[in-house]
Amino acid sequence: MKLKLSACLMLFSLLVFSQENYTISGTVKDDANGELVFGASVFLENTSVGGITNAYGFYSLTAPKGTYNIMVSYLGYTTIKQEVVLDANQSLVFELKEDTTSLDEVVITAEESEKANIRDPQMGVSLIKSATIKQIPAVLGEVDVVKSIQMLPGVTNNGEGSNGFNVRGGAVDQNLVLLDEAIIFNESHLFGFFSVFNADVIKDVKLYKGNIPANYGGRVSSVLDIRQKDGNSKDFELNGGIGLISSRLSAEGPLFKSKGSFILAGRSSYAHLFLKLADQDNTAYFYDFNAKGSYEINQNNRLYLSGYFGRDVLNFDDAFANSYGNTTFNLRWNHVFNDKLFSNLSFIYGDYNYQIEIGFIGLDWTSSIKNMNAKYDFKYYLSNKTTIDFGASAIHYNFNPGDVKPIDEDSSINEFILDKKRALEAGLYANVEHKLSDKLNVQAGLRFSMFNRLGGQPIATYTNDQPVVYNADLGIYEEGTKTGDVDYDKSESIANFSNFEPRLGLAYQLSENSSVKLGYSRVAQYLHLLSNTANATPLDVWTPSGSFIDPQMANQYSAGYFKELVDGKFSIETEVYYKTVDNRIDYIDGSNLIANNNIETQILQGESRAYGLEFLFRKNKGKFTGWLAYTLSKSEQKTPGGNAGGPGINKGDWYNTPFDRTHDISLTGSYKLTDKWSFSGNFIFQTGRPVTYPVGQYEYEGLSIAVYDQRNANRLPSYNRLDLAATFKPNRKPDARWKGEWVFSIYNAYNRKNAASISFGQNLETGVNEATRTAIFGIVPSVTYNFKF
Amino acid sequence: MKKYIYFSLVLVTQFLVSCTDVIDVDVPTADPRLVIEASLDWEMGTLGNNQSIKLSTTSAYFDNNSNDAVTNAVVSVMRLSDNMVFSFTNNNDGTYTTANFEADLNETYQLEVLYENEVYTATETLLATTPIKEVTQSEEGGILPDAIEVNVFFDDPGDEMNFYVLRFKTEGDPYPELRDVSDEFLNGNEISIFYEKRGDDEADELQPGDVVDINLFNVSERYYKFIQLLNSQLGSGNPFAPTPVELRGNCVNTTNADNYAYGYFRVTQTDKRSVTLIEMD
Repeated sequence: MKLKLSACLMLFSLLVFSQENYTISGTVKDDANGELVFGASVFLENTSVGGITNAYGFYSLTAPKGTYNIMVSYLGYTTIKQEVVLDANQSLVFELKEDTTSLDEVVITAEESEKANIRDPQMGVSLIKSATIKQIPAVLGEVDVVKSIQMLPGVTNNGEGSNGFNVRGGAVDQNLVLLDEAIIFNESHLFGFFSVFNADVIKDVKLYKGNIPANYGGRVSSVLDIRQKDGNSKDFELNGGIGLISSRLSAEGPLFKSKGSFILAGRSSYAHLFLKLADQDNTAYFYDFNAKGSYEINQNNRLYLSGYFGRDVLNFDDAFANSYGNTTFNLRWNHVFNDKLFSNLSFIYGDYNYQIEIGFIGLDWTSSIKNMNAKYDFKYYLSNKTTIDFGASAIHYNFNPGDVKPIDEDSSINEFILDKKRALEAGLYANVEHKLSDKLNVQAGLRFSMFNRLGGQPIATYTNDQPVVYNADLGIYEEGTKTGDVDYDKSESIANFSNFEPRLGLAYQLSENSSVKLGYSRVAQYLHLLSNTANATPLDVWTPSGSFIDPQMANQYSAGYFKELVDGKFSIETEVYYKTVDNRIDYIDGSNLIANNNIETQILQGESRAYGLEFLFRKNKGKFTGWLAYTLSKSEQKTPGGNAGGPGINKGDWYNTPFDRTHDISLTGSYKLTDKWSFSGNFIFQTGRPVTYPVGQYEYEGLSIAVYDQRNANRLPSYNRLDLAATFKPNRKPDARWKGEWVFSIYNAYNRKNAASISFGQNLETGVNEATRTAIFGIVPSVTYNFKF
Repeated sequence: MKKYIYFSLVLVTQFLVSCTDVIDVDVPTADPRLVIEASLDWEMGTLGNNQSIKLSTTSAYFDNNSNDAVTNAVVSVMRLSDNMVFSFTNNNDGTYTTANFEADLNETYQLEVLYENEVYTATETLLATTPIKEVTQSEEGGILPDAIEVNVFFDDPGDEMNFYVLRFKTEGDPYPELRDVSDEFLNGNEISIFYEKRGDDEADELQPGDVVDINLFNVSERYYKFIQLLNSQLGSGNPFAPTPVELRGNCVNTTNADNYAYGYFRVTQTDKRSVTLIEMD
């Protein structure tokens, strides 16, 4: 298939060359620090020839022989206009200067450049720059990527103290979270209070909510693609911040006579501080390190090495100790084959693991997921009308669901090792972006994905091939009868899956500043996070598809209307979507997922569907910038009995997923009053999370037992919150290298007790039934001092 | 055992969270159903002839006063090996009793309840129970370092899967605490289970002078799962608890399957101990 593609490319190249066209290619950098700029637009004035830089700052334009003005622009930067005489292929590097003509601290949140936004057939995508993330008030002053994307339409989470985020009614495990291309299996520190991404080292964050491009695969809801800075290649720079809860420090600078650069960053929270019972011997803290280096061998070859190491440590009186975290490494080689063909080869290693020690029962548990990933991606600038992305990837996974061991000789726990699981996931893709006419742009992609569940473990067999059986007398699902085990050798394959995943995007320009878009994507997901709790926990176990579990398959249809007003000062983005996911795992009543070798006896596979309307109004320029996001949506699931018989889970009826939010409003804004003072604020309103309330009670064994019926038929009270922040930059000498700023923030300014959960139980003293609300954060004021040297 | 892992997570949130308060919540009320609490417990060292079965109906969740006793049912238990029927006398307060029950190990019994022209049945086998070896009192164990806990020791037989339910009740407390234990990770070992009380302050913990009643039951796997689910849903709704679901027991309505009953029919041997807590140094 790849061979055919190359043949096509060669044929097209010949055609192109016969027309006496020439190509300009090169990179766009930030003048201040040499960082490559992703998403800058490079256009030839008064032509339709143009494009945007890729993630490595690379661009390539092809036009007939002639003299042109080349325009390089990126919002917040001064546009470069330069005359080029196109009589030969050439290479040009542009360095954009930050816009200092206006004193307003302009920060854009618009994706790509204005023009590209209207024309780009890609939909359901949001780009947030690090500077924007830093403006959004954060709880306890710790700037947070995952919290900032929740201000976008279609993105929610389960409130304070919950891991991850939910996109368009999808589950936490349906997001592909990438840090410099490495898969992050848990993006939360301290059960979701903070995210694992240090805002000081992040260049930009791109979130695909739908219409996921063909170069990504493996998760059905979204892709969160986070890129780390390469480091300042011009000057040495120190950045840091001292907060009430955590501190951070980063250093970056040039290497090898400005041929390379590095960035190193560390962050840590203080132990004890936010523990309620500080007098006890408890600790809860996290730390993380980021490192990245880049080296430009020559104009056509660049190397990058990046890594992340993060850890959470919790210890409660030695009764319970828990530590978990991600480790990733990535080695990348950018190679420009010629002025039209850009390539990147990556080798990535990732490890997510956790340990638990439960002192009071003498149990020690370790678990991990390791993956090795190789990717080779190409971008071919075929003509000024057509660019083609293509590539291949392979990921090898090693799952260790758990080694259970006794802590010491006194422990009555027996050693127990759960079966290790292995799998290989591979993908081949091609994506063509083509201008059909001046008004119509199309992006068509196809991904072919393969998943091989590798042997090296026994697989259980069941009577009638039923791991779960419906007991019609008692109206419950039960474990099937195990008949034996089939041992698979490491060289054998337990199960194989493959899928064609077409992706399609169309953009039709209605006018200079408005367009309509249509999108379709089909995505396969071969890994599943087993979690039957309301909030995902760091201890939830990932499991690969195999003999009993089929891959999740999503189809998403979307349509949108995009408009810019007053020369790009305001923009309106409206999208509607409809998404279905097949083979979504659901859990039988009373399912037991922990330390279970035969997960298939606890689950059934059903379907889920989600649909909604998203509206985003943004003010991109001026003293006041910000946006209003509104989402109206529905997310539900249904799991029939299937092979197990019976009506299915929840009597086979559709029911709300825990991520269903009818209304979701986010308002965020920042206002620059003077050079010294700027202010920002957030307001969030969300329909309460679906929960299951009791519908009755009875007495059994002297206990009041709650009666439950339909799942998720009730809702918590609505969630709403206002956050405020003020930034003060003291007077400083114009040439002083030390630049400091104070950030004062108030999280939950009107001190609303938003229910993270409502639990139903008996009063300890009276035995009377009562409902208890748990609210995680009341009003939280904080102050942080940030510095730059 | 496994629930401790979830329990540990709950513990973490309790340490981290800033506030909990009791609030008023409107909850729906489903149509009432029959509840059968048929626990035929044969206490070791007794004849086991006196048995009681309790029938009631479900009521609204926050309704503490309704009279939900079922006084118009007919209750009997049959020993299947010889079709011997033990009739239970209606005491007109929701309880049905007999003084003639014959408890025999490994015999299978069948419950029959006739209520509003519908017949509910369930069957269960009487299992022998492992005796309690020892009960001790300590402070340094358990979850809270300085709180008193009671430790129960018993030997798990190594040649089979065993399931246990323990019941702890401090005299004067409004309700007991049940524990579900399987020997999945403990097979063939001496098992120790602790009972500790936690609350907002030290007064809620176990105190010297408290009398704690302890029952150990060997139970069927199904009953173990029933109690496991029951336990995991007590005080449910915390962020790390599984979505609560309907708790179905082993009683079947043979007349009208959709009008099923809650509760359980269990027949077990039990070892009972009572300890009075003493002041510790």
